[in-house]
Amino acid sequence: MPRYLVERTFPDGLQIPIDDAGAAECLEIVDRNANRGVTWLQSYVQDDGSRTVCVYDAPSPEAIRATAAANSLPVDRITQVRVLDPYFYR
Amino acid sequence: MRSRATLLVLEDVHWADEATLDVLRLLGRRVHATRGLVVATYRDEELGPDHPLRGVVGGFAGAQGVGRLQLSPLSPDAVRALAAPHGVDGEELYRRTGGNPFFVSEALAAGAETVPPTVRDAVLARAARLDPDARDLLEAVAVVPGHADLALLEALAGPQTARLDACLASGMLVQSADGVGFRHELARIAVEESVGPIRKRDLHAAALRALRDRGADVARLAHHAEAAGDAESMLRYAIAAAARAASHGAHREAAAQYARALRSGEGLAPAERAELLDRRAYECYLTDQSDEAIEAAEHAVRSYRALGDRHKEGNALRWLSQVLWCPGRTQESARRAREAVDLLEGVPPGRELAMAYAHLADNHARASNGPEALAWAGRALELADDLGETEIGLHALTTIGSIASVEKLELSLERALQANLPEQAARAFLILAGAAVDSRLGARAARYLHDGLEYCGERGVELHRLYLLAFRARLELNEGRWNEAAESAAAVLRIPRTSITPRIVALVTLGLVRARRGDPEAESLLDEAWALAEPTGELLRLGPVAAARGETAWLRGDAVALEAATKGALELASARGSAWLSGELAAWRRRAGLAWEMPASVAKPYVLELAGDWTGAAELWSQLDSPYEAALALGDADDEGALRAAHAELQELGARPAAEIVARRLRARGATGLTRGPRPGTRRTPGGLTAREVDVLRLVAEGLRNADIADRLFVSPRTVDHHVAALLRKLQARTRGEAVASAAQLGVLEDR
Repeated sequence: MPRYLVERTFPDGLQIPIDDAGAAECLEIVDRNANRGVTWLQSYVQDDGSRTVCVYDAPSPEAIRATAAANSLPVDRITQVRVLDPYFYR
Repeated sequence: MRSRATLLVLEDVHWADEATLDVLRLLGRRVHATRGLVVATYRDEELGPDHPLRGVVGGFAGAQGVGRLQLSPLSPDAVRALAAPHGVDGEELYRRTGGNPFFVSEALAAGAETVPPTVRDAVLARAARLDPDARDLLEAVAVVPGHADLALLEALAGPQTARLDACLASGMLVQSADGVGFRHELARIAVEESVGPIRKRDLHAAALRALRDRGADVARLAHHAEAAGDAESMLRYAIAAAARAASHGAHREAAAQYARALRSGEGLAPAERAELLDRRAYECYLTDQSDEAIEAAEHAVRSYRALGDRHKEGNALRWLSQVLWCPGRTQESARRAREAVDLLEGVPPGRELAMAYAHLADNHARASNGPEALAWAGRALELADDLGETEIGLHALTTIGSIASVEKLELSLERALQANLPEQAARAFLILAGAAVDSRLGARAARYLHDGLEYCGERGVELHRLYLLAFRARLELNEGRWNEAAESAAAVLRIPRTSITPRIVALVTLGLVRARRGDPEAESLLDEAWALAEPTGELLRLGPVAAARGETAWLRGDAVALEAATKGALELASARGSAWLSGELAAWRRRAGLAWEMPASVAKPYVLELAGDWTGAAELWSQLDSPYEAALALGDADDEGALRAAHAELQELGARPAAEIVARRLRARGATGLTRGPRPGTRRTPGGLTAREVDVLRLVAEGLRNADIADRLFVSPRTVDHHVAALLRKLQARTRGEAVASAAQLGVLEDR
């Protein structure tokens, strides 16, 4: 399955509390993603929460957009990527 | 387990030994007092009435903390979803597996149409546990697809029918109103394949005799006759079954039955064989099985030639030309069309020649050679009128209409519908819908698409239906409904077929959705479309791909690629007088600052664009329900207000690359304060509810339960649970009633 980087901007900052409610919110997102075969692997969040870069496995860019809409998440840009491991070159 | 939360999973306990079952009994009695969770799985269809696990499970009745979850088989939708990425027909897979997850996953892993080895081993291992008489009975049932009633069973298995209870108890067979049959079609095939050839033949012969006596369905008789090696019966029943299937619009089945009839070998007279090949080619064409259609048509040509029947040889050549065109073999198709006319002009004229003229006209029309198409159609019409061949006349009239006017086409459609000529009607729908989509007559296009899809669906005309599905995707793209366009296009691309035109249209549509959004994997789709379209040399196939490649080159700011993508296609479009394609290709060149000449015939919105009348063009595009084109036209303006409007509209559409191009122009003029614009996913309603949560809340307000809401919104009940929990939290409500009341206060449920 292709891997994608998804860049998002949150003008008011992304707030997912580090508690049960936050965990539940993340699990809801994971659950909704599964409907379209999208797997959220990881996100990198800028310190002020205004920008994120998220890594996904998904069947298509359309699946990424559909789950973003279902989760009420903005999408700035989707890029298809491959993994490059620097420690591979020894 | 007493002190720590523990999860213990025991799989396949239907195979457990006594000691394990003892542990399970103990756990069942004590588990409620621990912090542990024990999950024991078993296949209930493996449990005969005296299986030891039955006693264990029965003993749990009423035990505290023990529950039983019955796993239902995968639904047809679920099987379809699993099958789609493999390019496998989900409905067929569901029919063969009954939704059994093991069979489904194994069948998908094995890929081919046959029974996967893992499934065969599992099935035969279970059959081996039956006593010999019961196994014989199982084999007898296995030669009967679907269900066998008791009378048929007795004819096949005689006294062994008494072992039916053992077979039912094993779970391999199930009983229904129609008799007994295998629980899973794959299991039936596995058992049937394991039967020795002599016994299998005898069983089929017995089934044929028994079913013939009671006048059973001809398709069933043909099946048993073939397996019994009874060529004469097979031929007779297969031809009857094919004719009946075709008359019911089951053209795929008809094609398969003609193939079966053709397998009957020496019993076939040469003329009969040639006619069967003809009919098979036709059924394969209607169901878009081009390779098979071409093979049968080539055979038919050779057979008629050997028979010295030049009328029929010419007719078969004409048909070969038709089926060669679908997968894009245009040059061979054109050559065969000419050969058919040349051959038939050398013999006394008849309906074959009229049809060959009509087909040659159609071939020219599809290659956008208008004048020649009209000339040949005229000859076809004249001859058809002389001969009183209304269907051929209608075919020619449709071709003339496709070049001359929509009104004439509508008349053709009306007459084809009245005369109940499905192929002519389907063809008229297809040409009308395609023309309406291309010339941005959205409302008309939507009507033709809707009616045409319904008409072709009812009559099993799969080929024309596929075209209409692809055109619908393109219409949705034109109207700015990109999510729908992408879904419709992806649906067409998932159908593994051979006609290239619908595939090209779908590839271009999905490629443009991605390119306009700035999403990845647009170019690869357009490259595939180009590889299919370019060798045909036909404007209708390659023109839209060239325009799409020009557009993506413009979005990338790559004028060199735009030049390469559009040059040849624009020359062809101008030469053929195609107003829309000439206009679009010239407009992209103008936008990129490349050389262009005003083509002889250009559609109105492009006339305005090419003349630099950007507001006029934008207004006309808006009237034509083409918001993206309208915004691009405004984006060419030399006016800050227009540019700002274009920028806002492009952001609203989610057209990031084009919005950035317009934003650069605005910044170059010194404009400031450009917003990032609304993002469709983030617009929130009062109370912080998402659009989806509002949808759910509306249904809650109607008093629906979560399961009903799930059905209504096509999501899982679990998803609805999540939405309801989220909206209760956001509205700080304890009950559904409170949520509805508080939403009403906030005005959440008012129409947006």
